[in-house]
Amino acid sequence: MASPSSSMNPPTPALKTYFKSPEGRYKLQYEKTHPAGLLHYSHGKSVSQLIIAYLKEKSASQGPSAPSTPSSSSVVKSAAARLFVGVNGTKTFSYGGTNGGSKVASGTSKFAGTFGAGSSSSPVAANYDGKGTYLIFNAGDTLFISDLNSSDKDPIKAIHFSSSNPLCHSFDSEAKDGHDLLIGLQSGDIYTVSLRQQLQDLDGDGIFVVAHADGNLYVYEKSKDGAVDPSFPAIKDPTQFAVAHARSSRSNPTIRWHICQGSINSMSFSIDGTYLATVGRDGYLRVFDYYKERLFCGGKSYYGALLCCAWSPDGKYILIGGEDDLVQVWSMDARKIVACGEGHNSWVSGVAFDSYWSAPNSDGNSDGTEENAVYRFGSVGQDTRLLLWDLEMDEIVVPQRYNPHGGSPTLSSGSHSSAHWDSTPSIGTLQPPPSMRDVPKLSPLSAHRVHVEPLSGLIFTRESVVTICREGHIKIWARPGDGDVSEANSDAGFTTATAKDRHVTAPSVKVNGSSYKLTASNFIRN
Amino acid sequence: MVMGATASKLEKALGDQFPEGERYFGLENFGNTCYCNSVLQALYFCIPFREQLLEYYSNNKNVAEVDENLLTCLADLFNQINSSKKKTGVIAPKRFVQRVKKQNELFRSYMHQDAHEFLNFLLNELVDILEKEGNDINDSPGTSSQAEQNANGPVHLRENGAKKEPLLTWVHKSFQGILTNETRCLRCETVTARDETFLDLSLDIEQNSSITSCLKNFSSTETLNAEDKFFCDKCCSLQEAQKRMKIKKPPNVLVIHLKRFKYIEQLGRYKKLSYRVVFPLELKLSNTVENADSEYSLFAVVVHVGSGPNHGHYISLVKSHNHWLFFDDENVEMMDESHVQTFFGSAQEYSSNTDHGYILFYENLSVGN
Repeated sequence: MASPSSSMNPPTPALKTYFKSPEGRYKLQYEKTHPAGLLHYSHGKSVSQLIIAYLKEKSASQGPSAPSTPSSSSVVKSAAARLFVGVNGTKTFSYGGTNGGSKVASGTSKFAGTFGAGSSSSPVAANYDGKGTYLIFNAGDTLFISDLNSSDKDPIKAIHFSSSNPLCHSFDSEAKDGHDLLIGLQSGDIYTVSLRQQLQDLDGDGIFVVAHADGNLYVYEKSKDGAVDPSFPAIKDPTQFAVAHARSSRSNPTIRWHICQGSINSMSFSIDGTYLATVGRDGYLRVFDYYKERLFCGGKSYYGALLCCAWSPDGKYILIGGEDDLVQVWSMDARKIVACGEGHNSWVSGVAFDSYWSAPNSDGNSDGTEENAVYRFGSVGQDTRLLLWDLEMDEIVVPQRYNPHGGSPTLSSGSHSSAHWDSTPSIGTLQPPPSMRDVPKLSPLSAHRVHVEPLSGLIFTRESVVTICREGHIKIWARPGDGDVSEANSDAGFTTATAKDRHVTAPSVKVNGSSYKLTASNFIRN
Repeated sequence: MVMGATASKLEKALGDQFPEGERYFGLENFGNTCYCNSVLQALYFCIPFREQLLEYYSNNKNVAEVDENLLTCLADLFNQINSSKKKTGVIAPKRFVQRVKKQNELFRSYMHQDAHEFLNFLLNELVDILEKEGNDINDSPGTSSQAEQNANGPVHLRENGAKKEPLLTWVHKSFQGILTNETRCLRCETVTARDETFLDLSLDIEQNSSITSCLKNFSSTETLNAEDKFFCDKCCSLQEAQKRMKIKKPPNVLVIHLKRFKYIEQLGRYKKLSYRVVFPLELKLSNTVENADSEYSLFAVVVHVGSGPNHGHYISLVKSHNHWLFFDDENVEMMDESHVQTFFGSAQEYSSNTDHGYILFYENLSVGN
């Protein structure tokens, strides 16, 4: 008979080494982890986070480019150690607007938020050749660097922190001074490190931003020393957004943004670096015009804190996920929530657009306007599952635009319950929680348990989906090959029809408990 | 003096942020009475409940010893804490605990007790006493020194005589919600709805899930068929039917009990489920009859510490004036809000972490609006 332990609990199904999507099977290629026995004391305190670093090959024009800095291999340089000691701890940060006012073409500032790296479809991706792509993740008191394209399970390098646990990190491939990796510690200290130097070889301007658990975000200049004591005026009203520039020109950080009460849990720059999105403990998504230093738009979760956010590659949509178990889609044009994904059985801890995804037959339409674009995105949650979603935007947007009845439920802006469906909120305002009756619902294309532990993040790369759990174990799921498509199509167990029919993959909408495909007319009646 | 030293530590930690008029007192343990202490702290920081109880105390000061009951003992204890000159310290809830043991033999032993069972017993006992007092007043009108209890709708109570409706006491007003059990006959499509009241919701839990998800499962549709058919009054026969529970009236204080102690038939005993069940600090109920969208805020958590059901310890986490506090019998400490997440449970079965949220107390933020 069954062993006592298995009889005591409902047997947990074993984890599979693949999962299915309309386009085929994603297979577990290999896993990455850290030495066992590392985490015993830090349980529940520091959550493993993951980023991807594409180390570009040095271009030939730059010559031998011997590192101009003495290769003292001095590992870390404390950027602002004294400033933040005693603050609740760094939460998240991001490289941003490196070339100040630069346009999309510059290809800079791609690295946004904790997981932004994967969703950026940068021109640099040409360098992605299977060499020089690294996974960087923290576990316990150590930061690990692992080669994405090697099937070796063990990290190639470990940076150990004796004073405090690393919590978050960010990578900037354009960093000319070589300090391309930021590491935030639980103590609130920040370190800038040269990943290139850490790994092999190695000029410098730029800024980076760091968000903290006390609701503040600081802008740093990389060229300045962090040793000068910054002086910022006291925060008058902790509930109000306020930007303060440092009194001394020598100060680094140079600017403080007070964003909200409570922690900023995640942030992300739009691909062109114009907008900065933050989500936090207070449940609000805030989108700032980064250069004007002004709130552009934003809104509240259904309830509870928001934990993650990510931009669509074209900068039109933002995914948010949090403690209401929902994945919501924010439209930058409509400045409100336009779709809401139900499917996770616990908090949503990571969201990302698949920027490498191209919708089948998307060029087959005669009216082929951009509004028909299908977006593929993924989400991971504390329910240990990875969910894949499709978002077909014409069907979400059209009902508002061609609303013949002139009004779905509309409440005054003072009301606590509803978004306006026939008007776009004015710039610079925050929206109340969406009313669940009014927002189109999405259902996931696929949902798969991929780890044993709750997940903390995901990244899409050209060849794979990379997932990480809170305890620092990573799995790399290879995208379906061409041969896998037919296999998926013939699989009777799979309920969603093939991706070839554009309309079938459309998000379905759920109204009053019954589920059916979303169409414009259905939605208007509601 | 020793107590003074620990007390001042909390006072120092709070500094000038110590809320005016608030008292933070530890409760002495009389041998495995942590089940009682943890629940008492959660109830003390349930502000509508505390205010009503203190009001009851001031209206019933001169009750003779013979009339002592669980309600007067609890009112005494709350008043003792509330009217204390010192802001912090330790109180021995001796009379109250003695009364509990006298009243219910279940709690008489020095064994480990279930905090949820105790909460249930206490609230029902309080309701019984208040209903009895309410009826007594109605039986002898004119002597009402408690006008507000008469206002609780006892007028038709007398008219209905024996078939009277239960009195809605202030305990009900805080904790009672109404569930509606909707059964739809699959043959005639008739929906039969039956209402039932609740003082708390007991939820089945799953590994790596959220309270939102557990509430969804609680209200999910169940099909009655085969052996378990439904007698439809319209069809006058047993029929297949679909059944679901919805919340018709959300309570002002929502108490959620996680069913962490599960009877395992093969073992012939109860086992503790250490599942990781995350609970948000803010919550909305989506399984309501009307889409009310009322928002709740977490203000107390009773935590079970230990790996099994028959031993262990209870502590409570309480949010008071935007600060989180940690109550462990005599000890009271400040706690960071982010620390709440360490009481969610274990993502895997064997873990050194045995501190698990067991009873959650949420207050309705839209009350009074």
